[in-house]
Amino acid sequence: MRYVKWAFWITFWLLVAAFFHYTLPQHDIARITDTYERRIDFGENSIFWASPDVGSDGTLNNRDVFFIQTVQPDGDVMVYRNEDTGWGWPPYFKFDTSNLQAEAADLRSTSANPTWVAITHYGWRNEFMSIFPNAVSVKRVEGPDATIIPWVSIIVLLFFAALAWGLWVRWKRFRAARIDPLVSDMGDSWDAAGHNLNERRGRFSRWLDSWKQK
Amino acid sequence: MFGFVPVFVVGFAVLSVVYVAVSFWSRQVRRRKLRKRWEEEGRPGDRESYVEAGLDEYDDSFRRKLILLVYIVPLAVIVAIIYAVNYM
Repeated sequence: MRYVKWAFWITFWLLVAAFFHYTLPQHDIARITDTYERRIDFGENSIFWASPDVGSDGTLNNRDVFFIQTVQPDGDVMVYRNEDTGWGWPPYFKFDTSNLQAEAADLRSTSANPTWVAITHYGWRNEFMSIFPNAVSVKRVEGPDATIIPWVSIIVLLFFAALAWGLWVRWKRFRAARIDPLVSDMGDSWDAAGHNLNERRGRFSRWLDSWKQK
Repeated sequence: MFGFVPVFVVGFAVLSVVYVAVSFWSRQVRRRKLRKRWEEEGRPGDRESYVEAGLDEYDDSFRRKLILLVYIVPLAVIVAIIYAVNYM
């Protein structure tokens, strides 16, 4: 039972971490090499794409999507998509996709004469699913080692930590006041639950055994 | 253009639940404090009428109107995000 409990909480917190890693804005320092658009036929990866430009017909299964190609200071490449999030999830309320594409196109540079930019984005690049992080803004920076403090992520995570802590404390208090007295004579509540489950499993397998040929 | 309608309808509904819950909770806290104060002041007169008078005062107070921040803060956050993402 203890392992089930651990597995549950590890899975739960991994999912929470993945959710925030996908949704919160991150900043990459990179050099824009090209901007383009190409048609995307959404398939099983459609959940990883945002919405069509606000105001346009969103019911079609394919559309042109803007992309921004970049090279990072260490030489790795990264490709961003550039899509409206509109009024949907995640709540970036981004409507200026075409403007952002114009800014990105203006900041293109070559390796001989690089212009470094900070690209704020959310999402993941995954080659196996053909998904791309969504660029939210581009801003010119001094050089490849400029530091950017992720204020938004800090604030959101602090709020989340406060909320989780508050809920946890209340649950603890509730459990101490209402649940523990009920199970105190059975020992630790988790052990009791595990014992209960074992017993039930035992009964079930005994019932199964009764159908087997002797 | 009208894509914001579902967001605002659902948001308004959720925030209304929060608003009602916070209102009840705040009133209850006030009631508890008034009872305590009634005791500390040496039990002046009837307890219930003392508490009711205090709650009437609370109903007109600025403090109670602060609960409207439940609607105002999220709206302000959305406006700030829209400005920061699209115009900055």
